[in-house]
Amino acid sequence: MSGAGLLGSAQSVSQAVALHCEGITKAFQGVHAVNGAAFEIPQGQITALIGPNGAGKTTVVNVLSGAMKCDAGRAFLGDTEITNWPSYKIARQGLLRTFQLSRELGGLTVLENLLTAPPHQAGDSLVNVLLRPGSIRRQEREHAERALHLLEVYRLYRHRDTRARELSGGQKKLLEMARAVMASPKVLLLDEPMAGVNPALIDLIGDYILDLKRSGVTVLMIEHNLNVVEKICDYVIVLAEGRTLATGRLSELRENTEVVKAYLGEVMDAGAAR
Amino acid sequence: MTYYVFTLVFFLFDYFILAMGLNIQYGAAGILNFAYIGFVAIGAYFTGVASLPANTLGQQYILGLGLPFPLNTLIGGLAAMLLSVAVALITLRRLRTDYLAIVLISMSLVLYDFCNNFVSMFNGADGLYNVPEPFAKTLGLSVNSFIPFFACVAGVVALIMWFVMSRVTRAPLGRTFRAVRDDHVVAAALGKDVFRMQLKSMMIGSFYAGIGGGLLIQFGGSFNPTAWLPGETFVVFAVLIVGGAGNNIGMFVGALLVETLLIHLPAFLPEIPGHPGLIEYFDLAVVGIVLMLMLWFRPQGMVPESVRRAASFGASERPDGEADDLELGTPAAPARVAFESGDPQ
Repeated sequence: MSGAGLLGSAQSVSQAVALHCEGITKAFQGVHAVNGAAFEIPQGQITALIGPNGAGKTTVVNVLSGAMKCDAGRAFLGDTEITNWPSYKIARQGLLRTFQLSRELGGLTVLENLLTAPPHQAGDSLVNVLLRPGSIRRQEREHAERALHLLEVYRLYRHRDTRARELSGGQKKLLEMARAVMASPKVLLLDEPMAGVNPALIDLIGDYILDLKRSGVTVLMIEHNLNVVEKICDYVIVLAEGRTLATGRLSELRENTEVVKAYLGEVMDAGAAR
Repeated sequence: MTYYVFTLVFFLFDYFILAMGLNIQYGAAGILNFAYIGFVAIGAYFTGVASLPANTLGQQYILGLGLPFPLNTLIGGLAAMLLSVAVALITLRRLRTDYLAIVLISMSLVLYDFCNNFVSMFNGADGLYNVPEPFAKTLGLSVNSFIPFFACVAGVVALIMWFVMSRVTRAPLGRTFRAVRDDHVVAAALGKDVFRMQLKSMMIGSFYAGIGGGLLIQFGGSFNPTAWLPGETFVVFAVLIVGGAGNNIGMFVGALLVETLLIHLPAFLPEIPGHPGLIEYFDLAVVGIVLMLMLWFRPQGMVPESVRRAASFGASERPDGEADDLELGTPAAPARVAFESGDPQ
């Protein structure tokens, strides 16, 4: 199955699509990392992007978020075509992302990391800085209130004045999520949000992702932990060798021999070996 | 004695301005501008040609507007800023870090050769001279009284520019510069136009360079290519690194330690008998050694970049509970998330 909607045809009529792509292709020196990937992400749902290592998952996220340009194919955020837009423009349209290896703004404090995120800040204009300090102060206070609240929710409040580079790995993961949420995203791409974190934090991050869904944010997350996928994701896209191998609910995909052969079998075998 | 002291004071304020300009580019936005002295020079030259009358015997130059202070100095600042736009358009879109630094230092050499050899622009290797001393005629200042007077003028200008720069660095704009410096990919992923931000930083910093250069040519009355050899950029970098990149007060401390004490004070020390000029020749060597020692033992500088605390944003503080801090480094009991019944598990 390639390029199909995640739902059956009857359901897809009523399900709005937040993000979709067609025939995304990206090669590095002749080697195709992504080779015609096509899928739809339903609005307000959590969708997992799974697949074996080297399937092209992160490359797809990089292309969708504008961090990389694709060689062919098209991407749409809602009805707006965003193919090969620069990442700052895509972010301004409401598509935010996190990274596989946490990328904090290390020299900024935890609070400042969050304050960098809100779009359309009056204080980013030199004219406003020089001529309208009062309105900037007001906006900063509002943003700080919201950021401090988020830091409370994400259990980072005590570290608000700490430089982000001094946080632990798990705290950096939380900071990245909180920062993306601070930008009020419509669509959030999470690149392995649970990678390298302890079980308590896995559950906590899972809870935050469900909260995002409840507040209407569409989530696409790359994830290898099938327990997590099963618990929190509504739909699953399987990538293999740069192509969309299958889409649907995980329970359905477990019956798909192609998927089992390409990925699930491998994961389940690894689980059984442990 | 007054002459010596106020000369040192002038250089302290002038390099404070120059260092603040480089600080917003490198300290805040992370642009390794090895062509910085070129922007200082353009500011000095344009201030010179804005001050000089249309025709001066023995000199060739453009403009010759005969404008008074501070208009002439503003023209110097704006000219440097315009040059920075051109340089940024060529370099910042595609280059970063070391490649950007290499291209910028090359551009500085091209600019140097151009000004040195294209005589009709800024009088070539002879440079501009007899640049009018601001207010000297109006206030009837002698050569000796002009120096303390202009050192005070430089102090007022530096104070105004410090106030403006503090506002910029404390504003979201300064924070966005630092975000771009720390990780431009993340900054872009948060909706920041990295090129535009770096361009702004280049423009602000170059304006400061131009103003600093403009004060310099008016203080000495002349300016020629020997005053801005490309290596001079590294003196400003030394001020910045010794003072503490990212901190405006640090720029004042750096200017005091490097420019005033290490570069200019030795020129006023008594000569070593039998070795005339020896102390003066060693100034750059001493700066180099101090720079290496600082980078080795105190890379953050004398006054490190400060942290803006949450309380300063005016938001209401919350109780600092212990419970909100998860031990993220050690495994703990799972299942904080209560999944809905019927959820597969």
